[in-house]
Amino acid sequence: MSAEENPAAEPAPVIDVQGDGRWMSQHNRFVQECKDAEPDVLFVGDSMVQLMQQYEVWRELFSPLHALNFGVGGDTTCNVLWRLQNGELDNIRPRVVVLWVGTNNHEHTADQVAGGILAIVQLLLSRLPKCKIIVLGLLPRGEFPNPLREKNAAVNNLLRTSLPQLGPVQLIDVGGGFVHSDGTISSRDMFDFLHLTASAYRTISTSLHELLLQLLEETPQERRASLV
Amino acid sequence: MDVIGASFHNRFVSDSKGKEPDVLFVGDSLVQLLHEFEVWRKLFSPLHALNFGVSGDATQHVLWRLINGELDYISPKVVVLWVGTNNHGHTPEQICGGIMAIINVIHQKLPHAHTLVLGLLPRGKNPNPLRERNASVNALVQAEVVSLSHVSFLDVDPGFIHSDGSILHQDMYDYLHLTQQAYQRVCQPLYERIKSLLDKQAP
Repeated sequence: MSAEENPAAEPAPVIDVQGDGRWMSQHNRFVQECKDAEPDVLFVGDSMVQLMQQYEVWRELFSPLHALNFGVGGDTTCNVLWRLQNGELDNIRPRVVVLWVGTNNHEHTADQVAGGILAIVQLLLSRLPKCKIIVLGLLPRGEFPNPLREKNAAVNNLLRTSLPQLGPVQLIDVGGGFVHSDGTISSRDMFDFLHLTASAYRTISTSLHELLLQLLEETPQERRASLV
Repeated sequence: MDVIGASFHNRFVSDSKGKEPDVLFVGDSLVQLLHEFEVWRKLFSPLHALNFGVSGDATQHVLWRLINGELDYISPKVVVLWVGTNNHGHTPEQICGGIMAIINVIHQKLPHAHTLVLGLLPRGKNPNPLRERNASVNALVQAEVVSLSHVSFLDVDPGFIHSDGSILHQDMYDYLHLTQQAYQRVCQPLYERIKSLLDKQAP
């Protein structure tokens, strides 16, 4: 599906309708961070990424890996694409990128959302040829079974086989275990049935952290000279 | 009210049937997220506090929730109300009116409770109309409640706006929601005020 056919693969900024320009402020801050930092790991996505940095687990597990967090609450694949094309990949050479986005794509079908994620991955691979990519699967959401759970699962299924075909990219599904046998999600895991609590972030971070360590070990650091 | 809103509301109503909180926090995401950080466990759990915050709520949503069951099974001594920043498209007078309507419902349902209204925080990285709007709401609410013995207003802004007019992402990671360190600064004086209100009410 080309960008013309897939609206989820159309880069688009968030227009400020509320009046305080917060989205652009966050984007500009990330562009500035690209000038100052030399991250080995880049996390990019929506609030699932952004909120992770507010909990202890980020300082304990991911800061030590020299990770930057470019998550923005509410972002769709279109918004992440726009940000990455407009400065958030300039001047940095992360060895691993963790991408987590798609749950906010309310206007798009599962096929389109998967296509949007693939478009982001293709952009990352073209801009960062030596980097490895981890795509986190979309989590189930809502207290009870509902269509968004089915949609997110469908996105994950589409990505499972198509992602590795693009290069050193893999899908990690950290959503298993959140839906109980009665079909409910507990507010102890997702305090608003969408966003994760501190303890839930801890649970998903262990395997993600181990995978990151493994990938970082496999991917040699580029020497500064080669960046010129 | 959408599906997610219904989930919260139902859980809050059923939660309230089992518990006897002395303090009830009600409002939007600034209330809801507070529950997820250590500061809640350290300062507010020991006060027997319940958290009925729902992300995205504006005054009309909170009003609906309180009219429709969330106050029916509990008798907190103090209700902490923090809402208004999501009232997009409303004037400061309208937002103040919404907050006063909530205060009235609380007083009807819980005649012995004291309502502590928190001032709306500034938002956005740089000066913008929403900061002015929120400051106007605060001034209006403060004036309205000054003559009411069962309500007080507390400005919990510890000085988030710097001399150059900016708010730091170390305090508001998205220039709206508070980081843990910012919650610490907001919550210490809040805790002191709640404690003194509870002490005044002790039998």
